[in-house]
Amino acid sequence: MPGIERPTMNRPGNLGQTLNDDTSRLDAVAKVTGAAKFSRDRYELDELLFACFVRCPYGSAELESYDAEAARAVPGVLEVEITGGEGKYQGQPVGTVVAESKTALRRALRALAPQWRMRQSISGVEEGAGEAPMTEPGPAKLLEESDLVLDATYSTSVQTHSPFETHGGVVHHRGDRAVAYISTQGVQAAADGLDRELDLKRADIDVRCEYIGGGFGSKLNGAGKEGALAAQVSTKYMRPVMVFTDRYEDHLDTGNRPSLLARVRLAYGRDGTIEGGHIHTWGGVGVARGGGGAVVPSGRYGFGQLQRTHEDVQMNTGALRAFRAPGRPQGSFVEELVIDEIALGSGQDPVELRLRLTEDPDFHAMLQEGAERIGWDRRAASGEQNGTVRRGFGCGTSSWGRYPARAEAEVVVHRDGSVEARTGTQDIGTGMRTVAGVLASYHLGVPIDAVRVAIGRSGLPPGPASGGSMTSHNVAPAMKQAAEDAKRLVLQAVGERTGRATDAMDIAGGEVLENGEAVMGWREACKLLPSDTVVGRGEWSGQRGPSERVGEGNSKGAQFVELTVDTETGVVRVERVVAIQSCGVVVCRKTAENQIIGGVTQGLSYALFEEKRMDRATGSMVNPNLEMYKIIGTGDMPHIEPVLWLKEQTGVRSLGEPPTIPTAGATACAVFNAIGAPVRSLPMTPDKVLAALEGGGA
Amino acid sequence: MNTFAMARPQSIGQASELARDRRWTLPVLKAGGMDLLDHMKEGLSEPDLLIDVRKLARQGARMAGDRVEIGAGMTLGEIARDPTIVGQAPVLAQSARSAATPQVRNVASAAGNLLQRPRCWYYRGVEFHCLKKGGGKCYALHGENKYHAIFGGDPCYIVHPSNLAPALVVLDGTVKIEGAGEREVALADLFHLPSEDLRTEHGVRTGEVVTSITFGTAPKSGFYAIKEKQSFDWPLVFACVALEMEGTRIGSARVCAGAVAPVPWRLGNVEKALVGVDVGDEEALKKACAVAGEGAEPMTQNAYKVRLLGVAVRRAVRVAAEGGE
Repeated sequence: MPGIERPTMNRPGNLGQTLNDDTSRLDAVAKVTGAAKFSRDRYELDELLFACFVRCPYGSAELESYDAEAARAVPGVLEVEITGGEGKYQGQPVGTVVAESKTALRRALRALAPQWRMRQSISGVEEGAGEAPMTEPGPAKLLEESDLVLDATYSTSVQTHSPFETHGGVVHHRGDRAVAYISTQGVQAAADGLDRELDLKRADIDVRCEYIGGGFGSKLNGAGKEGALAAQVSTKYMRPVMVFTDRYEDHLDTGNRPSLLARVRLAYGRDGTIEGGHIHTWGGVGVARGGGGAVVPSGRYGFGQLQRTHEDVQMNTGALRAFRAPGRPQGSFVEELVIDEIALGSGQDPVELRLRLTEDPDFHAMLQEGAERIGWDRRAASGEQNGTVRRGFGCGTSSWGRYPARAEAEVVVHRDGSVEARTGTQDIGTGMRTVAGVLASYHLGVPIDAVRVAIGRSGLPPGPASGGSMTSHNVAPAMKQAAEDAKRLVLQAVGERTGRATDAMDIAGGEVLENGEAVMGWREACKLLPSDTVVGRGEWSGQRGPSERVGEGNSKGAQFVELTVDTETGVVRVERVVAIQSCGVVVCRKTAENQIIGGVTQGLSYALFEEKRMDRATGSMVNPNLEMYKIIGTGDMPHIEPVLWLKEQTGVRSLGEPPTIPTAGATACAVFNAIGAPVRSLPMTPDKVLAALEGGGA
Repeated sequence: MNTFAMARPQSIGQASELARDRRWTLPVLKAGGMDLLDHMKEGLSEPDLLIDVRKLARQGARMAGDRVEIGAGMTLGEIARDPTIVGQAPVLAQSARSAATPQVRNVASAAGNLLQRPRCWYYRGVEFHCLKKGGGKCYALHGENKYHAIFGGDPCYIVHPSNLAPALVVLDGTVKIEGAGEREVALADLFHLPSEDLRTEHGVRTGEVVTSITFGTAPKSGFYAIKEKQSFDWPLVFACVALEMEGTRIGSARVCAGAVAPVPWRLGNVEKALVGVDVGDEEALKKACAVAGEGAEPMTQNAYKVRLLGVAVRRAVRVAAEGGE
């Protein structure tokens, strides 16, 4: 990765703080050396069985025939069962196979030789979209009477969930109890879902997910259908069973960010103020019932007298699932590009116009700061450049709420001075393990090296699922309380054994202090514990006080993108991204910055490359792999500057999702600025950029 | 993946014999194994014998008279770094360096790169029983054809995937094929259009092994690829150019494009138009290269490639003209 600057975070006047500035991920070494065991790594289990789904290969098809006997006759195959006679999307399970090896599974699928009769299918949102509803009289009048009207259509691709570690798990039923290694964003929910399949009590199910190779919303549904199948088969055979999707299955049946089609008609004034109009969107939800909405307008900018309508379009494609900031990146793409088009139409500077469209002082400050950092004064007006390679600048904003969740935590102190911080959440790559360790270390007053973190198991004190960016800020109060409780217990023991006044003592920097003076080392103090361990407990209800208004806990951000467009080839090269992000108190600076960098990276990948492409005739995806489903690689990584915004914020806030919200929109604005023509369709690939340049629209 | 036997012959002769051994249903040669592994994983090919020729034909570049000869087993990484090739035939070194990733380049062989099967997503996808697989239609024609052929497609619109082949065409390259006897085939004659034979792309027959590649020197030669992604992506269009310069003017040019047709696509019209053009004259160069797209027959989604072709050729000319300076 090109250099990543570490800009000064504590700017003058900042009231916030960072609890830890330099700790690297506690599991960094384990992850890079391979010592970390992921659920998909659990091949070492004795007597391991494998199971998979038989899947429909087309958008819509009837299963006419198959040879189950031939499939069962494949050596190593234990079971072949066909349960459905038709498929309504490519990848839909219609049966299962159980075998002694993955090879046997594949051979059985081949021997099964299913014959399908293909039917008509709908694989694109445009094909299934209904008419937009009539525009109401108020907005219609505005549109009729205004001199300045933006009338345009925007679209986005389907972005599939493609984590490194695919979806599934290994479940081992051992008669009176079970261990389930599930790749999940919620170990608690996974355990809740498996009790029925395993016919066991919740307490007898140990869900383990100490490490997970990525999860962006698709692993929120408990153990998933893969975990459920593993549990069913394990219950039958009393052997460990692995069910993991392969990359092909992952693209088809483990969820996606739905495609969006947006018809925008807006009347605006000569100063760029948006007077109102009508935005109608269609969301391509696949076989899901709904959920294809896009957050546009976001509420961050004034849109005047706006009519907002939406239709979820069902199609013969895999169902959507939550995807890092659901509805936001696609909404932001439309909203930010619309604002820049209106800025050009009214002769306004895009930053100036945004300052006029929002009254929020945080966005004002962030937009001004970002403009300064990116060098906005170097920006040429849109369409004013003539060279082959043209430079563009764009910006966008984001906001994200603070969702409540219950959390419990324990801080266990051993007589040898070692500490274990325990909470039943999981680390999906956000750095939650490190955050939990830093919290325990900070509030207990001991060095981070003394703390071991236990997460990723259902038997631990319940912690939140990793969705909605809610782990850190809900675990923080519980872990703080647990650490303070543990500190109290240690100091109580020291007081009882040494006669010192407990309330005159504190622990900091690994030393016991009395009236501010170091009197004893941490390990020495722990030797005085009355039992082998003491356990500090913390609990967070998830409910905030009545004084806190909705929106007060928002994390906010602004991103600025600088890029070049080669007008002969249509290739977009992003050079720099300044990503300003507030998240309240920064628990661990490195993992926080890493979240921002990751969010920007995923946003750029969405803006420029990712696209589930469907063959209309068959309803089948033509690029269900990571070769032709293109994800950003090293050659396209820009210089990313994460800027943690600490100004006037208290408490720990959300960080996982917000940084991916504005990236695609800001990138689209920068492309527009460079070439003077909007590319209104994601991803902004060379063919579309060239079409926009030729005035054909894109 | 199917079970298979693996043989490690000690000579080309042994490899050739094994490849023709009728006790095996589908014996297949394996060098780097890159494309073979893809085929086996995707169930497109189920060989029962792999004949490992990776350690054969490994000789590096050497001058043979006024031409350069390399072992067909030389890796893309070695070709990209070899000082003789970098100096005498930069277009070949550049084309090798532009392919795939360092990891792939360190394994993939020259012959494997030339003879790899097309990357067409319909050919690669098991759902699509397309012409190349014995089916009844080309799905790309009315389907997803963004990356497909703009020349010579009918009736199968694959594009030739090899980075090296167009470079070797402009270097007047030949391959030595051993097996049933020994023959030399010009790169330009090695590949055929789908209209000639749908199921194959080249004329190397069962039991034959490409053992070496010979090509002319062209210090003024260059490569330019236009890609969506700047790392690990197949080019949308690329061009290879070899020039004979007369001062700042082009005396003669050889131009071949990749990723636009089912075979390396020689651009004779551009070669003619370039003669006499001063490489410092951007307008003249632009005009000469603009003819590259003449005769193209784009489909619903790939007309943009026609425009890209002229750009790629012009930029390759510039790289070539600056070569060795």
